[in-house]
Amino acid sequence: MSTDNKPADVPDHLAKAPVRKSRRRIRMENLAWQIFIGVAFLGFWEYASERWISALLVSKPTRIAGTMWEWTVDGTYVTHIWVTLKATAMGFGGGAIGGMILGYITATWRRVGEVLEPYVTALYTLPRLALAPLFLMWFGLGMEFRVMFSATIVFFLVYYNTYFGVREVSNELLAAVRIMGANRAQLAMRVVIPSALVWVAAGLKISVPYALVGVVVAEMLASDEGVGFLLAKSASQFSTYGTFAAIAALLAMALATDWILEFFTRRALRWKTVGSQGQQQQQ
Amino acid sequence: MLLEIKDVHFGYKQEAPILQGFDMNVAQGEFLTLLGPSGCGKSTLLNLAAGLLLPLDGSVKFNGGYLHGINNNVGYMTQGDTLLPWNTVAKNILLPLELRGTPAQERSDKLERALKLVNLGEARNKFPSELSGGMKRRALLARSLIYDPPMLLMDEPFAALDAQLRETMHKELLSTVRRLNESVLFVTHDITESILLSDRVLVLGGRPLRILEETMIPWGKERNLDEIRKSAEYATLETHVRGLLRQADAQQYATPSTGEA
Repeated sequence: MSTDNKPADVPDHLAKAPVRKSRRRIRMENLAWQIFIGVAFLGFWEYASERWISALLVSKPTRIAGTMWEWTVDGTYVTHIWVTLKATAMGFGGGAIGGMILGYITATWRRVGEVLEPYVTALYTLPRLALAPLFLMWFGLGMEFRVMFSATIVFFLVYYNTYFGVREVSNELLAAVRIMGANRAQLAMRVVIPSALVWVAAGLKISVPYALVGVVVAEMLASDEGVGFLLAKSASQFSTYGTFAAIAALLAMALATDWILEFFTRRALRWKTVGSQGQQQQQ
Repeated sequence: MLLEIKDVHFGYKQEAPILQGFDMNVAQGEFLTLLGPSGCGKSTLLNLAAGLLLPLDGSVKFNGGYLHGINNNVGYMTQGDTLLPWNTVAKNILLPLELRGTPAQERSDKLERALKLVNLGEARNKFPSELSGGMKRRALLARSLIYDPPMLLMDEPFAALDAQLRETMHKELLSTVRRLNESVLFVTHDITESILLSDRVLVLGGRPLRILEETMIPWGKERNLDEIRKSAEYATLETHVRGLLRQADAQQYATPSTGEA
């Protein structure tokens, strides 16, 4: 903060202007903090286990890491993660496509929406877990049960976002494009769907973790494969390290899907961010 | 006559009728302004000309034919930002031609011409979120002119701009309209705007809507807005129209109604 060697003609307020930390510097600092918190937590856990809390209840990071390594080597992880991922992807895909189609239809044809409204609301408010026994009877223990269970959760999230997205499209914009000569299909392709995409993308992003939740819950309820099964089995044998190792796999899967999704939505919605970034640079 | 609105009735249920036997014409190459208080129904007239609204009775004739639906032979520009935010400026301006299936070669020729017309060549690959308010207006103008409609419908197109930018846009609009010999139906509640831009002003008011006065503007097509602003004639016209508009305002509040413009 020394002002001694400033040229005499520079006004005071300019010479002393504080320098803001660069964005990059802040990001590096954040990362350092994040790593520190993680390491400190694991270190504390390792230390406290058996000393202060019974290891039977909380296990130990080193013990869990050992199990994780074991499962990585013997293929347990690969088999079960693959099964869960497949079911999640199918449940997400099915639910999302269904939700988008029905959302678009009910928002575009107002009467259809009005007629179906009480049914959709009733099904939406119904606790989805209540459907599990019914689905089990219909689809058995296999993949179909998990996919359907997860799809019913995803469906409504995407449905409502699509519905509101389509309804929110500005009438002024629609009028302008109609006068330019757009027919119904062109209006949908050029205006309504891209406008609604912001909402739909938000709906898709929220529903991915829920798709995973749906599958894992279904696997825990009734299944002989998948990460949820691994979790339930370890817990039933009171193997805390196995339970934590399964949870670690879920954490990794959840983070990875979120990153992938972030990547795709950012590309699809580039037009939305490009202006605000430009403004930031100008500042 | 390019646009003929004849004995038109229009209104919404359970509200006082907005139009009851309304007549109005716009000639080829004419700049006609509808001036009136907000919510008086001038936008309704514009939307009837656009075919977005259909009259309950009476007829709207455009270019010799009766209008039964959307009028694709007009350019339409409103106060709102109706550029597609996910398309670049060039893609936005090309939209009407793409919707109409214009051949590619003709499309790119017309795009070059339109970008030059509104001076947006540099910004062609930018997204609307990167444009200033004035650039957005120019892009909208280019988009509504690129398919060579004989008439422009403008609903307070510069209302959201600051005063200085609005003046610039006025000049650009006039020179563009003159070069293309466009007819314009312009809706505004801004007295200055109406006197500076138009060949003819209809001062509107009351419910049902009627023409309080038809004012002919004497500047001609080759006008210098800065000179006009300083002239005594402009001041007289301005005072006169202001008086009329005050009268229209009074009528607007005298008639109980909740109708939208």
